[in-house]
Amino acid sequence: MLRISTIALALALAVPASAQTIKLGAVLPLTGPAAVIGMQEQRGIQFAVDEVNAKGGVAGHKIEMLFEDNQAKPDQSVLLFNKLVDLQKVPAVFTGYSGPSLAMAPLAGRKKTLLVNGGAQADALDKASPYLINTIPVLAGELEVLANYLVADAGKKTAAILFENNAAGIAGRDDFLASFEKAGGKVLAQEPVPFGDTNYRPALLKLAATSPDVVFVVITSGTPQLADQVRQIDAKFTVVGSTFFSDPELIANPNAEGFTHTQVLINAPEGMAAAFKAKYGTEFDFFPKQYYNAATVVMTCVEKLLKDGKPVTGENLLAALKEIKTFKGLTTTVFNTNTAATQINMNRINGKQDNLLKVIAPK
Amino acid sequence: MLWLNLLINGLVWGCALGMVAVSFSLIFATTRFFHVAHAAVYGLGGYVSWSALKHGLPEWAALLVGIVVCGLAGAAIQKLLYERLDRRGATHLVILIASLGLSAVMQNGIAAIYTSNVLQYGLPWGNRTTIIGGALLTNTQMLTVVFGILSYLGAMWFAHRTVLGKRMRAVASNPFLAEITRLQPRQVHIAVMAIGSALVCIPGVLVPLDLGLQPFGGVPILLTATIAVIAGGVGSISGAFVLALVIAVLQNLSLLVMPGEWSIGITFGIFVIFMLFRPRGLFTG
Repeated sequence: MLRISTIALALALAVPASAQTIKLGAVLPLTGPAAVIGMQEQRGIQFAVDEVNAKGGVAGHKIEMLFEDNQAKPDQSVLLFNKLVDLQKVPAVFTGYSGPSLAMAPLAGRKKTLLVNGGAQADALDKASPYLINTIPVLAGELEVLANYLVADAGKKTAAILFENNAAGIAGRDDFLASFEKAGGKVLAQEPVPFGDTNYRPALLKLAATSPDVVFVVITSGTPQLADQVRQIDAKFTVVGSTFFSDPELIANPNAEGFTHTQVLINAPEGMAAAFKAKYGTEFDFFPKQYYNAATVVMTCVEKLLKDGKPVTGENLLAALKEIKTFKGLTTTVFNTNTAATQINMNRINGKQDNLLKVIAPK
Repeated sequence: MLWLNLLINGLVWGCALGMVAVSFSLIFATTRFFHVAHAAVYGLGGYVSWSALKHGLPEWAALLVGIVVCGLAGAAIQKLLYERLDRRGATHLVILIASLGLSAVMQNGIAAIYTSNVLQYGLPWGNRTTIIGGALLTNTQMLTVVFGILSYLGAMWFAHRTVLGKRMRAVASNPFLAEITRLQPRQVHIAVMAIGSALVCIPGVLVPLDLGLQPFGGVPILLTATIAVIAGGVGSISGAFVLALVIAVLQNLSLLVMPGEWSIGITFGIFVIFMLFRPRGLFTG
């Protein structure tokens, strides 16, 4: 018996370090109304990880993803974050949606675990925790671009706001209101809609009665239904929004003609998009791309630590991120702060195409 | 004319809500089981009809397939779940929890099969609009009103003019007496579950035709319909339908005087006060 144990121990010690798998966590909405985006985010991360593992891993180490479903609920997110960090000892956790990310942010700081947000854009995420990094700009930067374009370039002086009544929607409302009035415009009215509710008609009717030049919309799902209902009430205003309008179903909807929006730039090579579609049967859209990019950022940091011979901990990952600073993923992502700066475009949906109006370089 | 548009919008939404309330009222008044899984059956109808449509069936046939599947699902839920629990002496709280569990299983099953994306029926005629009395209405909205009124009248006719309807009312009124007079309450329960479930398929198709299909879309509408059923008076079909209309119209018209985030709270606040003065509902003696 002693001999067998000795052999087993010797074999275990003989296994090279390259065989050691590095586990990373993700707390995303995989069921419930937010799963539309959550599952896209999951696929983006897994696609990037599979690609790296197929090439032998990060510096010889395979990456294993542990996904947990929070249904976009902040309380559930806290439990799952603790589970991943305390039981699975993951050094980094991917997150999405503002409410859950904000709920996990204090824990990330306390447990020195890197929390990586690749999709949520509430401003509060910017300084929520030293351990929370945002690989996408927060909404304030995007909406400043939108407001300046509307007032200075498009001559739109009055606006109304339709917002989703959650952290992201309220942040969007406040940012747009501040930026639009700073740019010289006037906000006439605002109306909330509950998250997941696609009956926008009463709110649209009320906003239309104030005769605004534009209605700024900040909702995370149900944009094709919004376009249908805008057309049904025979609206005279222009609908404007942010990157959330990059929904392929919305762009293909003839009722979305003229919708104008900001777009955080992210592009993928054709071959990669085709490989993604072949694997998952869905397009390599905005959110999978963003999370592919976020996963690339994290794995670049892991690689640096492994090459430097440092342990892969949340603290070291954060230090590596600040040291590397500029990442060449699907888009150039620069971390001057915990929130990345990237290029933002102004687009307009015309003829079932999302057409470029103007390019705004990162500050 | 904002008030007119909001009023008409409220009436249309009230007809959809009314169909859910009437179907729930039929089931709840007869079985006394709080059938939360009704929300999932509502969703099932929408998705089955959507699938039938995508397989090339005409619109009316797709709706019919949904109605039949929902009716069978309702009967199966009663026979295989609620009746078994009831026979084993389960309390109504246990049945409620079982119903909640079934609802979660069905809705997540739907989400797993169809994804959680908001699906569209893609019927261009549904979005075409007509001006009626100064308000713009889509064909789907007009259909909702027509089906809402027909469903209400049909449920009234069924409850008061058919043998099964009279047996249903007898069972609802006194289950013990119904048992000893051989009205076979368990069979009535199955029949009523089938009819209520078939009926809820109609709004289950018409609402998503207008607003898009979501696996969890039945929950908020059932919650509001339940309040209409209780405030209208348990067992009163008219009460359920009228209160559904009142709630929907109040929710819409309240936007004239307050922001949308207050509308649901204030509307239900009024009903809490109303229930304090009339706890058995509007349409009961």
